[in-house]
Amino acid sequence: MIKLKKLLCISLTCVVLTGLIGCGKSETVTKSTDINIKFFSNLPDRATGQGKLEQTLIDSYIKDNPNVKVTVEALQDAPYKQKFTTYAASNGIPDLFMVWGQPSFLAPIMKNGYVAELNANDFKDYGFLNGSLDGFSTNGKLYGLPRNTDFMVLYYNKALFEKYGVKLPTTYEDIVEAAKTFRKNDISPIAINGKDKYTMSLMYQDLLLKESGDQKLMPAALKDTTKFTTDPLFAKAAEDVKALTDVKGFQDSFVTADYGAANNLFAQGKAAMYYMGSWEVGMDLNKDFSDEFKKNVDVIKFPAPSTGKGKDTDLVAWNGGGYAVSANSKVKDESIKLLKYMMKPENWAKLGWQSGAVVPAQKYDQYLTGKESNLQKKLTEILSTSTSISGVAWDDALTPDFKTNSENLSQEFFAGFKTPKQFLEEAAKAAENAAENVNK
Amino acid sequence: MKKFKKIGINKKKLDLIKIILIVVAVIFSIGQLFPLVWLVDFSLNKTGDLFGANILKWPNPPQFQNYKTAWVDGKIFLYLINSVIVNVASVGLTILLSVMMSYAFVRMEWKLNKAVYGFVLLGLMIPIHATLLPNFLSFKAIGIDDSYLALILPYVAFSMPMAIFILAGFMESVPKSIEEAAVIDGCGILRIVFTIIFPIVKPAIVTVLILTFLSTWNEFIMAATYISSDAFRTLPFAVYNFAGQYASNYAVQFAVMTLVALPSLIIYIILNEQITKGVTAGALKG
Amino acid sequence: MQKSNLLHQVQCRSQIFCIRFNAEVKSFCIRFIGKGDFMHALFKDKKTIFLLVFPGLLVFLYAVFLPIVLSGYFGMTEWSGIGKPVFIGLENFKNLIFNDSTFITSLRNSLVLGLALICIQHPLCLGAAIMIDKIGGKLEKVFRAIFFIPCVISVIVTSKMWVQIYDSQYGLLNKILDMFHLGFLKQEWLANPKLVLGSLFVIIMWQGFGWGMLIYYAGIKGISEDVYEAAQIDGAGAAQVFKSITFPLLKPVIKINITLAMISAFKQMEVIYLTTNGGPGNASQFIANYLYIKAFNSYQYGYGNAISILFVIVCIFVTIILNKIIKKDVIEY
Repeated sequence: MIKLKKLLCISLTCVVLTGLIGCGKSETVTKSTDINIKFFSNLPDRATGQGKLEQTLIDSYIKDNPNVKVTVEALQDAPYKQKFTTYAASNGIPDLFMVWGQPSFLAPIMKNGYVAELNANDFKDYGFLNGSLDGFSTNGKLYGLPRNTDFMVLYYNKALFEKYGVKLPTTYEDIVEAAKTFRKNDISPIAINGKDKYTMSLMYQDLLLKESGDQKLMPAALKDTTKFTTDPLFAKAAEDVKALTDVKGFQDSFVTADYGAANNLFAQGKAAMYYMGSWEVGMDLNKDFSDEFKKNVDVIKFPAPSTGKGKDTDLVAWNGGGYAVSANSKVKDESIKLLKYMMKPENWAKLGWQSGAVVPAQKYDQYLTGKESNLQKKLTEILSTSTSISGVAWDDALTPDFKTNSENLSQEFFAGFKTPKQFLEEAAKAAENAAENVNK
Repeated sequence: MKKFKKIGINKKKLDLIKIILIVVAVIFSIGQLFPLVWLVDFSLNKTGDLFGANILKWPNPPQFQNYKTAWVDGKIFLYLINSVIVNVASVGLTILLSVMMSYAFVRMEWKLNKAVYGFVLLGLMIPIHATLLPNFLSFKAIGIDDSYLALILPYVAFSMPMAIFILAGFMESVPKSIEEAAVIDGCGILRIVFTIIFPIVKPAIVTVLILTFLSTWNEFIMAATYISSDAFRTLPFAVYNFAGQYASNYAVQFAVMTLVALPSLIIYIILNEQITKGVTAGALKG
Repeated sequence: MQKSNLLHQVQCRSQIFCIRFNAEVKSFCIRFIGKGDFMHALFKDKKTIFLLVFPGLLVFLYAVFLPIVLSGYFGMTEWSGIGKPVFIGLENFKNLIFNDSTFITSLRNSLVLGLALICIQHPLCLGAAIMIDKIGGKLEKVFRAIFFIPCVISVIVTSKMWVQIYDSQYGLLNKILDMFHLGFLKQEWLANPKLVLGSLFVIIMWQGFGWGMLIYYAGIKGISEDVYEAAQIDGAGAAQVFKSITFPLLKPVIKINITLAMISAFKQMEVIYLTTNGGPGNASQFIANYLYIKAFNSYQYGYGNAISILFVIVCIFVTIILNKIIKKDVIEY
């Protein structure tokens, strides 16, 4: 027994030593000419959607460039942000990484010189839509490339509307009415990911936009925060939200529903509508959903209140996800090469569109096959007939802390824990605080 | 039983009490076990069934492919091996170092004894999340980030305070005479520690073993922060990341969760007797 | 079962007795003969002490102490994790204590959790331990195993499981209430700020139940049968037995458990993060989770570290207070 214990201790020490020696970092034995690019992604699902697209393009690049190795690390959004901070603090940001082209994420990184500058001329012919590169540039210099065009829409389930004889909403008031009928029949009117909070900030901005018809109103309020509490349009938009929550327009306990839960609720036919972005374009092609659902899912623009000055073709739209290269990367040029390859229109835009994975940030009419799915057709139409776009939404327009605070506020307001007045007052305060810090 | 008959207590009354207690215990047990049963049940069904009206649904047909997907896409086997390596090393090192230090605190006479003991016990109060970033920085500085050591070191360091607390408490109640006898026989201190103390404090060691094992086996936040390559990832990561990958497919998520829970369950059932013996034999005399 | 246990105990005791006897004789001889100094020197040998203590201490210093010191430094800076930290002294701490309502809420919630653990979970654990002890036989082992099982499962698994259970439309809890025609009791367990804390406490208590029970069970088993017999002969009822014998003898165990419960209440983070993340709003925010959010989501890394320093200080403070309260009551037997 005693000898056994000693033996155990010795062997354990050996394991530890092995761990130290044998299992160092991933820079193991490679040829001296091999290039190793570290790719940091927020798409852990490499088998469907954008993750698959990323992986497909990486794999084909490797095939064409056999001396290049690409190591992918993929985490979901929240752990991605945490790991990213850790990397940044230790000055070890991976070579090619995903970014959100919004001030709340990218501004501090660009400002502190963590991203490599890209040559804008290289991408002249990549077909990036007007304004899509703005969030990825600062001081006239380009630091990243966008991969989607994101805009908020209202998905709905045709079958449920027919079943309960509900009219398809053309105005915002129609939605509130529809909610009443659906509630009577035990169907959740609108599925929303309350736990993730941001969709509620977006809906508020959407209503403000549709009430005012002015895309510049929200950005103006972020600069002159008194607008929140003095401009009656802000209060009107808040009242609109209240009208919906008063009839329980969202699913029960929506503040605990994350993206998966909301998505699931809608896909299982338990919710009639789904307020989400254009990135859901692949819903009617998703093999995990029932055929019945895929047949019945459709999408409309988020309708305006009948008294509003805005139209439903005014969109809350922005370019969120994208990629950048680390300024300290030891394989900077190679990483930029890989980025250029990936974002070539015939790669990202074409494959992404045709597989139903994304609505690209580049022109894609030339890639329309005519065999588009219903959602793809409708979303393309919505985008091409839009009369104005918002750019970065308010929660992402200032500091990261403002993002947390404003989204918290939106959630509390939608959940009924704050009155419209409180919501607006505190939003103004949060924006003021952020303005003090945004230049730090 | 016989004792009580002598004193004249009603046997029937005792039986009744026992039966009531058993019923209560069964109800309690249902509360403890039901969620797990529910998890396994829906892991063998289709995701849509979760939204159905039933509390439990007999899987018909059982969707074993959920487990196949979980095993393959969740890379369960790879993560399992890593978990085993990290845990065996962490638990072993914790026990080794803690026994050594506890002995020094309890038996050795030195000026800083109480101070260092108190200092180490303070480790119980340190929030792990505050150490995530600084540790990442310091691990990177000496080149051990993204390796087994990046997990083993913090796991050992955070397990030591509790381990020392338990071991020191137990050692205090062990009579000194055995060691003193050994000294007369010519044993050095180190030999005493390894050949005499280790066997005597076995119950406490078992307690420390299971305590450390459970906390490190299921640890995920340090694993997610310090490890970047798939080659070193441990089991909890499978569940953590799977939620994003299969956000819409609850059944597969449940299958992953069941698979991840299995090893600790199995080990616990096998070692159940030892664990209770260990804790009962006075590991907490302190 | 009782018989073999008794025999076993007797055997062990006699073995130990023999060893002890031999040892006592030897040490008596030593002291008498005056070799005590040699013994003393051995136990004072600096080199040995160093060898025993240093390796462990080194690991501890590197992976626990060093990061906290760094954390303390960062707590006095304004730093987003990106760029360079800017030293601002005690500014963060001032803001936390005086301006940050979420911090106060988190602190309060953590304290309430600690009290709930002590006042609700521990009596339940103790009760369960006594119950199992009284049941005896094979069933005792079975229940022991079953009650401990939740502790063995990863918190990721159990958290996700409980979120499903609490789902107000498709969750287990509301479905069961419906089944028993108690539908009017259905609630939005995690969405209602009045109920969310309670719901979370249930999860945390359920998860940690096995440990508490096991420790009390060990304590109870450690009380000699003779004491109970004597009480039986004196004609004491069950309640009196508990009050005058079981409880006082368990005091040392209870004391440890209470302190540990309080500290673990403060350290709670994973359950919160995986279920509500402090929501709705900040109603269920706890210190460790708040720290994490500030440091890694809001990019206020310096502020987050200030929270962690305050956390340690509060823990130490609470431990001292608890020790003072309990010290008065501990009776030595």
